[in-house]
Amino acid sequence: MKKGKRNSMLTSTQMILLYVIIVFCIIVGLRQPAFFSVATVINIARAAIFSACFALCEMIVIISGGIDVSFPAIGCVAMYVPMYLIDKGMGSQSAWFCFGVAILIGLGFGLFNSILIAVLDIPPLIATLATSSIASGGAVTIFGSHDYTSLPEGLQKIYNTNLITYVDPNTGFSYVLNILVLVPIIASIIVAFLLKRTMLGRGLYAIGGAKHAARVAGLNVRGLQFFAYIFSGAFTGLTAMIYTTLMKSARISALMGDEMIIIAACVIGGVRITGGHGTVSGTLLGVLLITLVQNSLNMLGIPTSWQRFVVGIIILLGTILTSWQTKRSLKAEKA
Amino acid sequence: MKNLKKALGVVLTVAMAASAVAAVPAMAEEKTAADYKIAVVPKMTSIAWFQRMEEGVNAYNEETGADVFYGGSSEGADQASYLESLLAEDWDAICVVPFDSEAIAPILEKAKDQGITVITHEAASMDASVRDYDVEAFQNAAYGENFMEELGELTGGTGKYIQFVGALTSVSHNEWCDAAQALQEEKFPEMECLGRYETGDDATSSYNQTKELLQSNPDIVAIEGSASTDILGAAQAVEELGLSGKVAIVGTSMASICGDYVQNGTVYSFSVWDPAEAGKAMIDLAVASLNGTVEDTMALTADGYETIENVDGDGVFYGSARVDVTADNLADYDF
Repeated sequence: MKKGKRNSMLTSTQMILLYVIIVFCIIVGLRQPAFFSVATVINIARAAIFSACFALCEMIVIISGGIDVSFPAIGCVAMYVPMYLIDKGMGSQSAWFCFGVAILIGLGFGLFNSILIAVLDIPPLIATLATSSIASGGAVTIFGSHDYTSLPEGLQKIYNTNLITYVDPNTGFSYVLNILVLVPIIASIIVAFLLKRTMLGRGLYAIGGAKHAARVAGLNVRGLQFFAYIFSGAFTGLTAMIYTTLMKSARISALMGDEMIIIAACVIGGVRITGGHGTVSGTLLGVLLITLVQNSLNMLGIPTSWQRFVVGIIILLGTILTSWQTKRSLKAEKA
Repeated sequence: MKNLKKALGVVLTVAMAASAVAAVPAMAEEKTAADYKIAVVPKMTSIAWFQRMEEGVNAYNEETGADVFYGGSSEGADQASYLESLLAEDWDAICVVPFDSEAIAPILEKAKDQGITVITHEAASMDASVRDYDVEAFQNAAYGENFMEELGELTGGTGKYIQFVGALTSVSHNEWCDAAQALQEEKFPEMECLGRYETGDDATSSYNQTKELLQSNPDIVAIEGSASTDILGAAQAVEELGLSGKVAIVGTSMASICGDYVQNGTVYSFSVWDPAEAGKAMIDLAVASLNGTVEDTMALTADGYETIENVDGDGVFYGSARVDVTADNLADYDF
C-alpha cells in the first residue's frame, strides 16, 4: 500500500511534467551554456506572470465544467478603458484607480458570462465567444484604437519597484524582477486553498464532474457557476492591468489570440477539458513548460520559421502525456 | 428612363470634354483639385495614422481652395460597404488606402466602370486592372538600406545585429530586412546578422526575444525593427538591461508608439512616412490623371513626392517620402 502510493506520486502528472521540464532545460543548457543562469530564472518568471494568472482563471472555469475564450477580449477592454479615461482627463493617475476600474470591468463581463451560461443555459464556448466579440467590437467602436505607451504616475511607481535586481557578473547586464510577480504567487496559494479546503472549491469540482449529480446532491450549481465566471472575470481585469504596467502599454488588441495557448497550458497541466479535474500545481507547471519553450527556442538555435511548429509539437506531446496519465488513473479508480 | 439618363450622360460627357478642350488652349492652365469632385477614403478613421491623413487633406483644401472630401468607416472591416455607398454620388476620382484589397477589388472595379478615376496607396501588389494608379511613399529596398546605413554609423560598422519582422510572411518587412542585410554584407562586412525573428506585431514578443537573445549573445550591438511595435518591446528590454546607448535600435514606428524611447535616447531614430503627405500625393495624382498629364516620371506638390517614378511601368509610382524621426524633430511628427 505504502509502496503503491509512493509509486503514484513519482508518476503523477505533476512529476511527469517536472521530468519533461528538467530534460528540456538540460537540452537547452547543453546547446547554450548561458542558459544556466539566474538571468534565465528571472526572465522566465517575468515572462510567465500574465500566463500564470490567466491560466488560473481558465483552470477554475474548466474545473467547473465550462470554458472561457473571452478573457483576452475582456482583458483588453479592462486595460484600455482606464488609460482612455486618464487620457481624456476623466481619471486619476493613481494605481488604485487603474486597477479598480480594470477589476470592475472584468467583474462586469464575468457577470455577463455567468448570466449567459448559468441562467440562459447557453453552451460556455458559444457564450464566451459572443462575449469576446461583443467586448472587443464594442470597445473599438466606442473608444477607438489608440496606443497608450506612457504610464500614469501610480503605475510608473509600481513599474519602478523591483523585487530582485541581479547583475550578471559576466556581461554586466542587470536583470530585474518586478514586485508584481507576487500576484500570481499569492493568487496560486489562495486558489489552491480554495479548491482543496473549502466547500466552494469542492463544489466546483463536483459540478464540473457531474452537474446533475451535484444538483441532486443539493449543491447550488448556478451559484457555483456564477462564482467561477465572476472570479475569472475580475482576476482577468487585474491581470490586464499588470500587463499594462509591466509592458508600459495598453492596446485594444494586445491580448487577442492568447486563449488557445492558455487553455493548452491548463490541459498539459492535467486539467481535464471535460471538467471536474485539475490542480493549481499542475497548471503552473503547464505554464512553466510553455513559457520555457516559447522563450528558449532562439537559444536552442531553432529558426523562427520552425518555432511555431515546435511549440505545436510540444503542446501535443504534453497533452498526450497527461491524457495517457488520465486514462491510467481512471483505470486505477475502477480497479 | 435609363436610356434617357445614359443619353444625358453621354451628352454631358461630350459637353464637358468639349469645354475642357476649349478651356485648355484659352486659359493655358490645368484644372486643379478645385475643379473636380474627389474623395479620399482611409482604411479606417479610428486610428491616429488616418487622423493625420485627414489633417493633410484639410491642409490641402486650405492651400488650394479645393473641396476634397475625406471620410471612411471607423473600422477597416467596413471599408468595402462604405466605398459602395459612396458610389451613389458622381465622383471624378476616389483615392483609397485599401484595408482588405480582396474585399474592395470588385467595388473599385465597379467605380472604374462608372468612369471614376481610382487612385490607391499602400497597395502596390493589387491587380492593376482595378485602379488607375497607385502611389507609394518609397521603394522598399531603399527604405530598408537606410536602416543599415544608420546602424553601420552608430556601431562603427562592427558587431552582431538582429532583425525583427512582424511576420515571416510579411512582404514589405522582409524586403526591408533583405535590403538592409544585403547592404551590410557589401558595405559593413565586419557586421554579422544573427538572425531574423518573428514578433507577430506584439511588443511582448519582441521584448522577451530581445532579452533571450541578449542573454545568449551579449555581443549584440544593434537591433532593426519592422512592425511598429517591434522596437517598442526591444527598447524596453534594452533599457531594463541597462544597455541604453550601448545597443543601437532603429526601425519603423510612430511617435505615438515609441516617442518616449526616442526622447530618452534608447531608440536612436525611427523611420516612417507621413500619412498627411501621402493623402496629398493621392489627390495630386488623381488630378494629374483626370487632366491626362500623368508621365512615368513626374512631380507632385506633396512633400517627399517631388519626383515620383513609375518604376516597373505598371502604374505604381514610388516617391522618396521616408521621414527619419529623431529627438530633434519628434514634435513635427506627432502621430
